[in-house]
Amino acid sequence: MELFLQFLSNTGFYLTDYRYLIMMAVGCTFVYLAIAKEYEPLLLLPIGFGVIVGNIPFFKGFGLGIYESNSVLHYLYFGVTTGLYPSIVFLGLGAMTDFSSLLIRPKLMLLGAAAQMGIYFTLLSALALGFMPKEAGSIAIIGGADGPTSIFLTAKLAPHLIGPVAIAAYSYMALIPIIQPPIMRLLTTKEERLIRMPDVERTVSRKELLLFPVIGVVLCCYLAPASIPLLGPFFFGNLMKVSGVVDRLAKTAASSIIDTATIFLGFTVGASTQGDVFLTPKSVGIFLLGAVAFSIATASGVLFAKLMNLFMKNKINPLLGAAGVSAVPGSAREVHLQGQKEDPSNYLLMHAMACNSSGVIGSAICAGILWSFMV
Amino acid sequence: MYGLEAINAHNGWAMAITGAIIVMTGLTVLSTIISQLHRIIDFMENRKSKKAKTETPQEQPPVKEIQSAATALSNLGDRVDRLCLMTTDAGDSFDLITLHQLFIQNDDPHPHLTIRSLREQGYLVPTGEGRFTWKR
Repeated sequence: MELFLQFLSNTGFYLTDYRYLIMMAVGCTFVYLAIAKEYEPLLLLPIGFGVIVGNIPFFKGFGLGIYESNSVLHYLYFGVTTGLYPSIVFLGLGAMTDFSSLLIRPKLMLLGAAAQMGIYFTLLSALALGFMPKEAGSIAIIGGADGPTSIFLTAKLAPHLIGPVAIAAYSYMALIPIIQPPIMRLLTTKEERLIRMPDVERTVSRKELLLFPVIGVVLCCYLAPASIPLLGPFFFGNLMKVSGVVDRLAKTAASSIIDTATIFLGFTVGASTQGDVFLTPKSVGIFLLGAVAFSIATASGVLFAKLMNLFMKNKINPLLGAAGVSAVPGSAREVHLQGQKEDPSNYLLMHAMACNSSGVIGSAICAGILWSFMV
Repeated sequence: MYGLEAINAHNGWAMAITGAIIVMTGLTVLSTIISQLHRIIDFMENRKSKKAKTETPQEQPPVKEIQSAATALSNLGDRVDRLCLMTTDAGDSFDLITLHQLFIQNDDPHPHLTIRSLREQGYLVPTGEGRFTWKR
């Protein structure tokens, strides 16, 4: 009987408390959203299941938990804390990105820069709320709407916040269809949403496609060397894709490699949200600030597009500004859908993808800048 | 520490403004470069092709085997009968322009020199009003 009671005291049923149960509910919600609503399933499913696994209570000291050295989860989590997974994800992302639309419409790159203003506004807000500068920088990067970038910077600046920052970043990326449309509609008129983007009758040459990753990596990394771990693999992946001489490598980077990194990244980030560590007032603050960051990033892009229209002969559809956040391709898809709601024959997707891909570059530069400010 | 006091204490304004300016400048420069990239490539390619054109010798038109003027004129007497037949359709008398055009149509070399030699050697006899006939 004593043995049975001892066994019972080591089970999850005995050790659980309300915090684990709350996080379990969060994990189940993520899994539900991924499967039933198909909201960013590639991210939410591994994260959601990771949250469930990470919040199964266990007897401390057995080397089971993600924060216990020598545990399997701890080893897998190593890729997160060192910034390894984000770099690998960027390699695959580069191998998947087609910069043709950006090369045809380079001025749309400015919208990718404008949407990063949310990061700096959130930096100020986080400092004002009492977060330390390194924590504030990690929270601010959520405004870039780029999960791997957020994880990378947080791993460097405030590793204790990886869980909440990653969950916030990925949650808001998944919630793009809910967060962005009201902001887009609020800041634009019907006439502006109806603006058609002129077609550019120019084909991008292979030489342009080859030169872009080289120029991009040199310029961006000279400007913010701390962004090398992200932009280096990103542009390398793109060069592999456009070179056409290493198709096998490019395809592997764009499929098996990025998928493997995404699985481990999502699962271990989810598992890192143990209720006793995760459910703190700080996490709630991070979630709130993340929402502010994402909203301001969207608004900055839209308002900057309107500002550009004051000086341009060929007007830009200001909805495109919302795609300046780097949530690829969710925000571009949302911009396209909003444009089609007003005019079903208005195709904004390719233009929005141009803003989106420049947003990826912009948020990685911001991460590099913030890192270099804080060290 | 909270609020503006915290932002000031941690140099927040400077970080935010500088960071925003850096990312804006960086992407503006990158977009300017890529907007001119195709022009630069076109320029380089044009320069290259021009250079290649000047370096490779220009294709010469196929050289016609032209009889030398001396050879053509040395046996003028032997050619007169053929020339007479050539001008049959032009009538008994003809002007020199017509004769010149017939020479060109028949690919006869050195039409001007030949006509001049025919005149000088008396094979072509003026009939008046700028017309000529063959010496019988």
